[in-house]
Amino acid sequence: MNRTIAMKSGDDGYMQELKGSTEYTGVHPQKFALWLGMASMTMFFAALTSALILKKGDFKSWENFRLPSIFMASTAVIIGVSIAMHAALISYRRAKFAAFRWLFALGFVLAFAFLLMQWLGFRALADMGFPLTGNIAGQFVYLMAIVHGAHIAIALLVTAIVLILAIRARRDPLYELKDVINPKRKLHMELLVTFWHYIDIVWIYLYLFLYFNYR
Amino acid sequence: MSAHTTTTADVHGHVDTDHIHGHDHHHEPTWMETYIFSTDHKTIAKQFLITGMFWGIVGGLLSVLFRLQLGWPNDTFPFLETFLGKWAEGGKISNEFYLAMVTMHGTILVFFVLTGGLSGTFANLLIPYQIGARDMASGFINMLSYWFFFAASIVLFTSFFVQTGPASGGWTAYPPLNGMRDIAINKGSGLGFDLWALAMTFFIISSLLGGLNYVATILNLRTKGMGMMKLPLTIWAFMFTAILGILSFPALLAGVALLEFDRLLGTSFYLNMIVVNGHLLDYRGGSPILFQHLFWFLGHPEVYIIILPAMGIVSEVLSVHSRKPIFGYRAMVVSIMAIVVISFLVWAHHMFVTGLNPNLAAVFVLFTLLIAVPSAIKVFNWIGTIWKGSIRLTVPMLFAIGFVSMFISGGLTGLMLGNSPIDIQLHDTYFVVAHFHIVMGVAAFFGMFAGVYHWFPRFYGRFMNDTLGYIHFYVTLIGGYAIFFPMHFMTGLPRRYYTFANFETFNNFNFLTQFISVAAIVVFLAQLIFVVNFFYSIFKGRKVDVERTEGEHTYGNPWEGTTLEWTAPIERIHGNWAGEIPSVYRWPYDYSVNDKPYISQNTPLAPGEVEHT
Repeated sequence: MNRTIAMKSGDDGYMQELKGSTEYTGVHPQKFALWLGMASMTMFFAALTSALILKKGDFKSWENFRLPSIFMASTAVIIGVSIAMHAALISYRRAKFAAFRWLFALGFVLAFAFLLMQWLGFRALADMGFPLTGNIAGQFVYLMAIVHGAHIAIALLVTAIVLILAIRARRDPLYELKDVINPKRKLHMELLVTFWHYIDIVWIYLYLFLYFNYR
Repeated sequence: MSAHTTTTADVHGHVDTDHIHGHDHHHEPTWMETYIFSTDHKTIAKQFLITGMFWGIVGGLLSVLFRLQLGWPNDTFPFLETFLGKWAEGGKISNEFYLAMVTMHGTILVFFVLTGGLSGTFANLLIPYQIGARDMASGFINMLSYWFFFAASIVLFTSFFVQTGPASGGWTAYPPLNGMRDIAINKGSGLGFDLWALAMTFFIISSLLGGLNYVATILNLRTKGMGMMKLPLTIWAFMFTAILGILSFPALLAGVALLEFDRLLGTSFYLNMIVVNGHLLDYRGGSPILFQHLFWFLGHPEVYIIILPAMGIVSEVLSVHSRKPIFGYRAMVVSIMAIVVISFLVWAHHMFVTGLNPNLAAVFVLFTLLIAVPSAIKVFNWIGTIWKGSIRLTVPMLFAIGFVSMFISGGLTGLMLGNSPIDIQLHDTYFVVAHFHIVMGVAAFFGMFAGVYHWFPRFYGRFMNDTLGYIHFYVTLIGGYAIFFPMHFMTGLPRRYYTFANFETFNNFNFLTQFISVAAIVVFLAQLIFVVNFFYSIFKGRKVDVERTEGEHTYGNPWEGTTLEWTAPIERIHGNWAGEIPSVYRWPYDYSVNDKPYISQNTPLAPGEVEHT
C-alpha cells in the first residue's frame, strides 16, 4: 500500500508498513510526539516549582501560610478523572460504546468539577487573607493552579468535542452492531486519555509540592 | 455507501473515505492546500524561509536605522520623519524609538530569523528528504507549527504600529523595565510589551510543535537501513536542536507567564518596593533575578538552538564541496550531544554582575569554558575535512568556510568572556556585542546562506546566480568583520546607549562608530542582492542538469552529493519519491572512495567492501 495514503487514514497498515520498512522505535510516531510534548510540559512545571524554591529561600513570611483543604478534595477528584477516563478507554477498546459514553461523560463532569473546586480554593485563599495580589506565598498557589487549569481547560475542550460526536453517533447502528473501531479514532482516544493521565499526575505533583512547601 | 463502510465506521459514525477508496484514491490538493495551508514539508520549509527572509530584512533595517543614530548623533535625516513620523521628528530618531529598535532587532533576529527561519526551513526541508520519509510524522502539526509562527509574526509586527510603540526594554525583557504596564517607566512597557509577550508565546508554541515533529520523525520514520550512525550530520544537528528547544523553551514560557501575571493581575513575582514618581507601589517580595534565571535557562541554550543547525549544514556543505568524507563523524555527533548537555549548565554566565555568589559563579565559569571543548573539536574536524580536499569554491562552500572563520573569531572572545573576572569588567560593553554578533549572529547567517545556496536546487530545481552569490559573500564576509571587529577595541563603551555625545571620554571612538555604521549599511545592501537573487532564481535561475528521466520524472544531482535528497526527482512531488523509498546501505560521506567521486547512500556495498563504521 502506498504509504502516503496509509498515513492519511492512520490505520494499522501504516504501523505494519513502518515495522516492515523503516528503522523504528516501535511506538506510533504521534504517541512519541505526545510523550515529547509531555516532557516539554514537565519542564514548564519544573521551571515554575524551581521558581518557588528560589523565592522561598529569600522570603520569610512563608511560615504563616497554609494550603486550603479544598485543594486536597480537588486532588481526590482529579484522581477520579483519571480512573473514569481509563475505564472509558477500556470500554471503548472492547467496543462497549454505551459504557464508554457514560464513563467518558463522568470523566468530563469530574474534570469540570475539579476546575470549579480550584476556583473555590481561590475563594478560600482570599478569605484567609491571601488575595491574588497579596502574599507571594499565596501568589504561587494561584499561579500553579491557573496555568495547570489552562491545560485542563484545553483537555476539556477536546473531550467535549469527542463527547458530542460520540453522543450524536449513538443513533447510528453501524458501529454498535458491528463492534468495529477505526484505528485512527482509537489512536486519538488513546492520545487523549494519556494526556488526561499526564495532566492529572502533574496536579498531584503540584499539590504535593505545595503541601510540603507550605507545611 | 458501499459494503466497505462496515469496516471503517467508528464511534463517531463517520466514514473514513480515504480508507474506502484504498489504493486508487488520489486527492488532488486545492490551491489553498498546496500553497497556503499545506501539510507538505517542502512547502512549509519555503513558508518558514520566506517569512524568515521578511524578518531578516525588517531586523536588518532596524539596525541600519539605529546605526544612523549612533554614527551621526548630531545630524538629522529628514527622510526618516517621512517613514517613521513622530518616532523621528525633525529627522532625528527619538530616544524611545531607538530603544524599541534595539529591542526588536534582538527579538527578531534571535527568534524569528535565526530560530524560526533557520531551523524551521532546513529541518522541514531536510529531515524527510535525508532520512527517506514521505513527510513528517504529523503533517498537520507541522502546518500548525508554521501558522503559529505566522501568528507570532503578525502580532509582533502589529506592535510597531501601536501608539506607545513596540517593546523597548531589551530583547531580554528584564522585569524592572517591563514588569508593569506603566508607560511612565518606558513607553514600550505598555501595549507593546503585551504584544511582545503574546508573540513570544505563539512563537514558543510554534517552536515546540515543530520540535516534537522533528524528533518523532527522525526516530520513527527513517527508511530501511538508515541506522542512527548513517544519518547525515544535518539530521543529528536538527534532532538535538529540537530536543534542546523542547526542554528549554518551557522555562522562558514560565518566565513570561509570571511576567504577565505581574503585569496584568498585579502579582509581584519579580517586583519589590518599586518607586515611581516618588510613590512607593504595593509590590512586595518579588525578585527580578528570578526572571533572569528563567530567561537565561532558555536564553543560553537558545544560542545553541541557533548555531547547531548552522553547524550541521556547514558539516554537510564542507564535505560535499571538498569531495572528502567528513573528518571525525562520531566525534561530531558526540560533540553535538556534549554541547546540548553542557548548554543547560552555563546560563548564569549571563548573570555574573547580578551579585551571584562567586563560588557559584566559578561553577558556571567551569562549564562555560568546558563547552569550548566540543566546539573546538568541531572546528578541528571542519578544518580536517577540507584539508587536502579537492575543494570546489562554490558559493555555498565559501559561506561554509566563512562560517568556520566567524565561529573561530567569535568563539575566542567567548573564552575571555566566560571568565567571570573578565566578564564583570566587560559586561554590557561593545566587546560583548562583538562577541555574540560574530559567533552566533554572522556565523549563523553564514550557515543559513550556505544552506540556502546549497539546497536551492532541492527547493526549486534551479541554481542561484553565482556572480551575485560571490558578490554577496565577499561583501558580507569583509563587511561583517568591518562591523564587528572594531567593536573589540571599543573597551568600556556601554551597549544600548542612545548617544555618547555627553561623554567626552568616548570621543575617540567617533571615527570607529561612523566606520561601523557605514559598514553596516553596505552589508545590509548586500543582503538585498541575496533577496533579489533568490526571487530571480526561482523563476529564471539555471536549471539543474537532468541526468536521467524515469516516467514523468527527471533526476539530477547538482552537487554530486551522496545523501538521499538527491535521489528524489528534481520535481518536488508529494511523498518525495515516485516509487519505493530508497533503502540505505552506507554512511552519508562516501566521497572519493573506491575510485569513484561519490557513492550515494542507497548504493549497496560492493562485494568485499567493508562498511564504514
